[in-house]
Amino acid sequence: MKPSLFQPRKIGEMAPASKIVLYAILLSWALFVIFPIYWLLITSVKTPAAVNEGPFFIPWVDFQPSLHAWQDLFVDDFADTFRAYANSIIISLIATGLSVLVGSMAAYSLSRIEFAPNLITILYFVALLVGACVAVGVYGANLWLTLAVVVAMFFLLARAVGRLYTVRLKNGDILFWIISQRILAPIVVVVPIYMMFQSVRMLDTHLAIILTYAVINLPIVVWLMYDFFNSIPRDLEESAQLDGATMIMTFREIVLPLSRTGLAATTLLVMIFSWNEYLFALFLSTTKAQTLPILVAAMNAGERGILWWTMSVAIIIMIIPVVALAVVLQKYISKGLLVGAVKG
Amino acid sequence: MDQWLDKHMGRLFLAPAVVLILVFSIFPLVASLILAFSRIRFSGGGFRMRFAGWRNFDKQFFGSEQFHLLGTFGPLSIIAWIVGITATAALIWWMYRYCKTHFTVFGFVGRLITFSMAICLVWLFAGTLLSGRAFGTVGTTLFYVVIGCGIQFVIGTALAFACSQHIAGSRTFRVVFFVPMMITPIGVGYIFRMMADTTKGPFSGVWQWVGLGNWSWATDPWAARIFIIIADSWQWIPFVFIMMLAAFESVPKDLNEAADIDGAGKWMTFREIIWPQVLPIAATVMLIRVIEAFKIVDLPNIMTSGGPGIATESVSLQSYYAWRSLDLGSASAIAYILLFITVVICVSFFNLVVLARVRAKP
Amino acid sequence: MNAPAVDMKASAKGISIQAMNKFYGGFHALKDLTLDVAPGEFLVLLGPSGCGKSTALRMIAGLESISTGTLTIGDQDATHVLPKYRDIAMVFQSYALYPHKTVGENIGFPLKVAKMPKPEMDATILAAAEQVELEELLDRLPSQLSGGQRQRVALARAIVRRPSVFLMDEPLSNLDAKLRGNMRAELKHMQNTLGITTVYVTHDQIEAMTLAHRVAIMKDGELQQLGTPKEVYSDPANLFVAGFMGSPPMNFVSGAIENGTFTGPGVSLPSNGIGDQTDVTLGFRPEDCTVVPTGAGHLDAQIFTLEMTGDQSLVTFRTGENSMVVKMPKDFDAMPGSDAGIAFDAASACFFDNATGQRLRSSG
Repeated sequence: MKPSLFQPRKIGEMAPASKIVLYAILLSWALFVIFPIYWLLITSVKTPAAVNEGPFFIPWVDFQPSLHAWQDLFVDDFADTFRAYANSIIISLIATGLSVLVGSMAAYSLSRIEFAPNLITILYFVALLVGACVAVGVYGANLWLTLAVVVAMFFLLARAVGRLYTVRLKNGDILFWIISQRILAPIVVVVPIYMMFQSVRMLDTHLAIILTYAVINLPIVVWLMYDFFNSIPRDLEESAQLDGATMIMTFREIVLPLSRTGLAATTLLVMIFSWNEYLFALFLSTTKAQTLPILVAAMNAGERGILWWTMSVAIIIMIIPVVALAVVLQKYISKGLLVGAVKG
Repeated sequence: MDQWLDKHMGRLFLAPAVVLILVFSIFPLVASLILAFSRIRFSGGGFRMRFAGWRNFDKQFFGSEQFHLLGTFGPLSIIAWIVGITATAALIWWMYRYCKTHFTVFGFVGRLITFSMAICLVWLFAGTLLSGRAFGTVGTTLFYVVIGCGIQFVIGTALAFACSQHIAGSRTFRVVFFVPMMITPIGVGYIFRMMADTTKGPFSGVWQWVGLGNWSWATDPWAARIFIIIADSWQWIPFVFIMMLAAFESVPKDLNEAADIDGAGKWMTFREIIWPQVLPIAATVMLIRVIEAFKIVDLPNIMTSGGPGIATESVSLQSYYAWRSLDLGSASAIAYILLFITVVICVSFFNLVVLARVRAKP
Repeated sequence: MNAPAVDMKASAKGISIQAMNKFYGGFHALKDLTLDVAPGEFLVLLGPSGCGKSTALRMIAGLESISTGTLTIGDQDATHVLPKYRDIAMVFQSYALYPHKTVGENIGFPLKVAKMPKPEMDATILAAAEQVELEELLDRLPSQLSGGQRQRVALARAIVRRPSVFLMDEPLSNLDAKLRGNMRAELKHMQNTLGITTVYVTHDQIEAMTLAHRVAIMKDGELQQLGTPKEVYSDPANLFVAGFMGSPPMNFVSGAIENGTFTGPGVSLPSNGIGDQTDVTLGFRPEDCTVVPTGAGHLDAQIFTLEMTGDQSLVTFRTGENSMVVKMPKDFDAMPGSDAGIAFDAASACFFDNATGQRLRSSG
């Protein structure tokens, strides 16, 4: 008897009918994903006329492709394009490096060493911070004087206050505190950060954006790397420790090389977020440190409406590096996330 | 010196992260709170702050900006009464059951906060939308979060499950499905504006054919909102997809085979074996998505500028517009309202769903 | 090649542990351990899993803090010294080889940490590798090695730095039975030639008996008995040691001593001068007794099974709830289910107080 369309032909295989349904679903989703990107690509080689005179789908058949938009951006506006591109690369590379380094150091230390900070001391510190902000902001106290007073008060009284009530936090609490920073919508903190950089005259500098990006991505790094480090057998580090290696050396020689997959996935994620970030860049950069998303968004502001062809070119050159990186590192992403995120 | 370094290296490893977060997260948070309670006047190059009490919040909740943040309230319609009372009753029953079964003070206070937030949101919903009036940015943001994340979760999980089957070419599908996540939200916004153009976009033929040739997404509130959700889903389904794919692939193969030998069908295997295994991960993925969805600002800004009217404006965007009009006090107050709603909902979700799932897993 | 060995003998240090305790929260993992290890001695910590032996070893290494008590290595107090300053090397159960480093880099890691110059380092690595016959494999990665080879790499990494103390945490438990035998002999040989003080943790009594100068038997965080392998085998201090050592372990029969005679179910024999007591356990080793016709021995029982191990036959008896094993020559034969007697050397029998588990010794 021949098996029906709904029965598998071989063990471990699907029936032809369900296979067809599955492929239909996957292919139609692939189409849904690819088509907008395809449209972006062909728009970038359309003349204004070809865009405005209704939909044309296939180059050389429907319309004659032209590279005028590419020329606009790469020849006529080369300086602007190049500057934004270079800014984006510098900022996202350094911010990612900083974030991954600082974050994985913190994650490593949290996964290996037990901390027990005193809750009351922390509350005392926050209270001092609030007081200082009120004093400076509302009553116009001198910034540096207030800072000095706060630091002095903290170190003088921290121990005394800490003895009042000894509730100690655990590593899990610190971890939760760091990760929970991700809940913070950028809009909540962006205005004070803007004012902070304004007061030290660092608006529109690379450093300001780099530091901000590094911090907003710290929670992701700490969260992913913490679980990753926990999955590395302790024996290796204990052995290195007995051999006399310091924590820095163990971290550099043993832990980091063993976390390559996790680091790759984390780095890629942070890189994507930094590369694509918009809101902070909008506040913190004007011209010198302008990044690509700002350049793209700014194209909206022309008098002739949106120049869709130029816009498409800008978006394409912005997508290319991340997509290339992602396709190359794709297998690390699933592996890295599997150990990190998925387990936690 | 060496000994000291060895002893304190752990702290030194943690310190940079803590300092950075204090400076760039905690300090701004405190400063923002102070701004929210102040009136700021710009004069010349600097600005002056004066304590304003609850005025900034008052304006948002009860004053001139109420329609903007919460929506326009009208007399409650019959449906609004029915939905509101049913939901309230359900919530009270939920609280009552909790108190009857396993009461702890800490858990009770937490649930009381969740309960109050839920009641407020239910009556907000009933008072505006269900009574035939427009809702404000809070409603719009919640719409993006609930409907958007729901759609993304269902489709992303389904695709991940399909891709976790043994079929030829699944590797290619993976790479393709992953790509939208790489694209900057700004880019996604503009691409979908091109897509949705009813006269020059790729689907203009279709619009003409159904007689909507001169209609625009951007003029109808609900169409505009759905339009934004489609773009948001296009971008974020890959995230759910990649995480859930990793989850499905982490389910041990022998469990599947054991179920096969026991004679369980495909659906049975999925429901009884695979789903319980990935459920804790699914809850975590959902939590991450919800957290990020509350922050939505670039897509509505690019695609519709919050329009028509305020129909697609999210709370973040409202705060941004307030900042742009130099109303720093309101901007901070709105941001804090968003933060409060986000924290309550996310922490409730974490405690009641994620932790419960993790605890349930032996 | 003998030069370093001589060096090391000179630098071997003793270890002195005084009333060492470990608490994990409310859990008392190690109870008042007091132990002295002589320079150059091979001491084995033996016990079932969870008995605190690994904890004790990790406390000597400095990987776990010492809750109370003191630890002295050589003549220096090491109680709160960080591991890297203790001059010890450790071989882990998992070998803890760095998977991303080659064999040579693995062996050389302690030297790299000590910032040894490159040419000298290469020579030292080669010397250590030769000692464990690995010189051909220096460029391989650990994943390309067999279990035995990995074990050797771990050993080479431990000896390359010439530590004054060697710690081993069940180093042979991941090997198959045959390889384990070979490695045991090599370990013993190496320890002999190098003369490094060694503390070795295992749950395998054969390893303990063959390797150790002295064995420390532990249970529930408490030291049960410390002595040479011969002492702990033939002269157990308590019921636990008697039941733990030997394969198959000692046979036990409960009963009471009255008027200088032990009486239990179906058994009666002189108590070797131990005073009267009610709740007593008699113990005798399977190899110290023989199967005899019913009525001719000290006790009678029914034969339950007969197992051939090749070089001998193990005869298991059942009486009530007790089961007893007798080792007989390999040509011994009997019908399971039939009755037989057991005769043993009354002088080698041990008596234990059932309530405390302690050995009862004649007061004379």
